[in-house]
Amino acid sequence: MGEGQREGKKPIVELDGVGKTYFRDKEPVVVLDNISLDIEEGSYEALMGPSGSGKSTLLNLIAGLDRPSRGSARVAGQELSGMSDSALATFRSRTMGFIFQAYNLMPVLTAVENVELPLLLTKLSRGERKKRAQTALRVVGLEERMNHYPRQLSGGQEQRVAIARAIVNDPRIIVADEPTGDLDRKSADEILTLLEKLNKEFNKTILMVTHDPQAAERATVIHRLDKGNLS
Amino acid sequence: MSLLSIAARNLLRNKFRTIFTVLGAAVAVLAFVFIQTMLTSWSAGVEFAAKDRIATRHKVSMILPLPKRYADTIREVPGVKHASYFQWFGGVDPKDKNNFFANTAVESKTVFDIYDEMVVAPEDKARWLADRQGAIVGAVLAKKMGLKVGDRVTLQGTIFPGDWQFNVSGIYTASRRSIDQSQFFFHWDYLNESVPEPQRDQVAWISARLDDPTRSAEVSAAIDRIFDEKDVQTATMSERAMNLSFMAMFSAVLSALDAVSIIILVIMVMILGNTIAMGVRERTREYGVLRAVGFQPKHVGLFILGEALTIGVLAGVVGLGISYPLVELMFGRFLEENMGGMFPYFRIAPMTMVAAVLLAVTLSVVASLIPAYRAAKLSVTDALRRVA
Ligand SMILES: Nc1ncnc2c1ncn2[C@@H]1O[C@H](COP(=O)(O)OP(=O)(O)OP(=O)(O)O)[C@@H](O)[C@H]1O
Ligand SMILES: [Mg+2]
Repeated sequence: MGEGQREGKKPIVELDGVGKTYFRDKEPVVVLDNISLDIEEGSYEALMGPSGSGKSTLLNLIAGLDRPSRGSARVAGQELSGMSDSALATFRSRTMGFIFQAYNLMPVLTAVENVELPLLLTKLSRGERKKRAQTALRVVGLEERMNHYPRQLSGGQEQRVAIARAIVNDPRIIVADEPTGDLDRKSADEILTLLEKLNKEFNKTILMVTHDPQAAERATVIHRLDKGNLS
Repeated sequence: MSLLSIAARNLLRNKFRTIFTVLGAAVAVLAFVFIQTMLTSWSAGVEFAAKDRIATRHKVSMILPLPKRYADTIREVPGVKHASYFQWFGGVDPKDKNNFFANTAVESKTVFDIYDEMVVAPEDKARWLADRQGAIVGAVLAKKMGLKVGDRVTLQGTIFPGDWQFNVSGIYTASRRSIDQSQFFFHWDYLNESVPEPQRDQVAWISARLDDPTRSAEVSAAIDRIFDEKDVQTATMSERAMNLSFMAMFSAVLSALDAVSIIILVIMVMILGNTIAMGVRERTREYGVLRAVGFQPKHVGLFILGEALTIGVLAGVVGLGISYPLVELMFGRFLEENMGGMFPYFRIAPMTMVAAVLLAVTLSVVASLIPAYRAAKLSVTDALRRVA
């Protein structure tokens, strides 16, 4: 969008020699070895690879949920590697939308309240927050379910509420970690169609981890990760 | 919707756990209130002691007698407004020997000058003064023994053997909290006439009231100086000092009770800490989601403190709610009736109520500090990975 243009043709995600090492009982485990990757603003990219290859780890680094052990990760013009926890949180709330495999809705909140949650961090008025949450629910086609609790919704509907929550703060990037992993084919297709719509109509950059070849097909680019390296 | 309202809703998720925790902490509040009320009512004797009253007794021991004529000497000491003598009687109700109550022989014409917080109707007073066997009975004792004006009472003497007959002339109530309303007073003259010669004209102590309460130490010293050269020496002290020295005998019990109250508070922190830690553990993933969508570590911490605060307020309010009927209405009435000497006025002090609620709130916050800190510090990816 506007900001993207101002940065010229610079990719919205620029990873340069990124690595991630975890320590398990003081033994280093190299999960990501040496990743360099650019993602253009407005693209829809999929990340595939065997279980344990580091897909979620890579997605979390790009999303600012975690910091790389080495290398540089510039996302939406900001270098994430040296940021404090609190600065990363602010970055996420302004730039990122999250979709998880397990939906991760708050069970004590209704659909519309779940969607409103990220807006509690803004200065918006109560009425404005509610209006935006309703708008986001309308985008995912669940406006009439806004007062339902997560347990009253199907898995596919829960995931659509989660998508509404991911877009309510108008993020530039949406990261989705196996968003259709827990869904049947029909619901999965609905979710994928929705993501496509967000990408095409709203120009959201989407990065999706998936095991499902049919899901990956929808993306414009497919990256493959194996043993901590892109192939 | 706000973080605090989400915190409150989280508490309703596991209603039983929340209810039991609140009740557990409320019982701790009850125990705290009970013990504190016991301590304050115990010390009420000191707190409400008349500042202008002093008492003179035998220098060696409270149980050794003084000559009655000492009262006249004391009345002449400068600064003394009134004086009156007293003798322990130590009688028991032959029908109910376990019913202990103070019964004292008093100097009829001066006793109300000294104990002016004892409220007696003028006609009762007149009836008493006119009846050699008359007795004035405290309202609490009268109610307990079922006595009313005009009844005959027999007391069995323990210090002065025999069955002693009395007529109830009047009932007294108290205008101040220092007076035990389960005492029994009768004429010293009646006792003195009936005891054998060697026990005549003896009193246990002499109480005096002063013109100026600030001079009580000085006047007390002056009195003791007068009797220093006599065959029986005296010890005089203010009512307050006497009550204090009486309380000092129980200081070990008082400190033990204080320690119990602290133990109760520690138990309360543990109950609360356990519940809060359990809730935090179950909701770790949700905190991860909150952090992912941009909430700061401090938000997560405050969120957990908010839950704890809600539990604390509920526990405080419920605790006070059950304390009032149990402590003030049930235990309180029982203790005033049966142990009025030690607990003349067993009521929950406003300070105790405030302290109980503040402690419940503060301690629940304290109990949540560690879980809150740990949840705030948790890495987002670890929290999200956690399966509930
Ligand atoms: N916090 C951590 N501490 C230690 N090891 C970790 C940590 N997080 C991830 N790992 C390890 O890193 C490796 C990659 O994990 P990751 O979750 O990125 O894999 P994935 O490709 O997403 O797998 P899946 O397809 O099963 O989701 C795994 O071996 C995992 O055990
Ligand atoms: Mg994964």
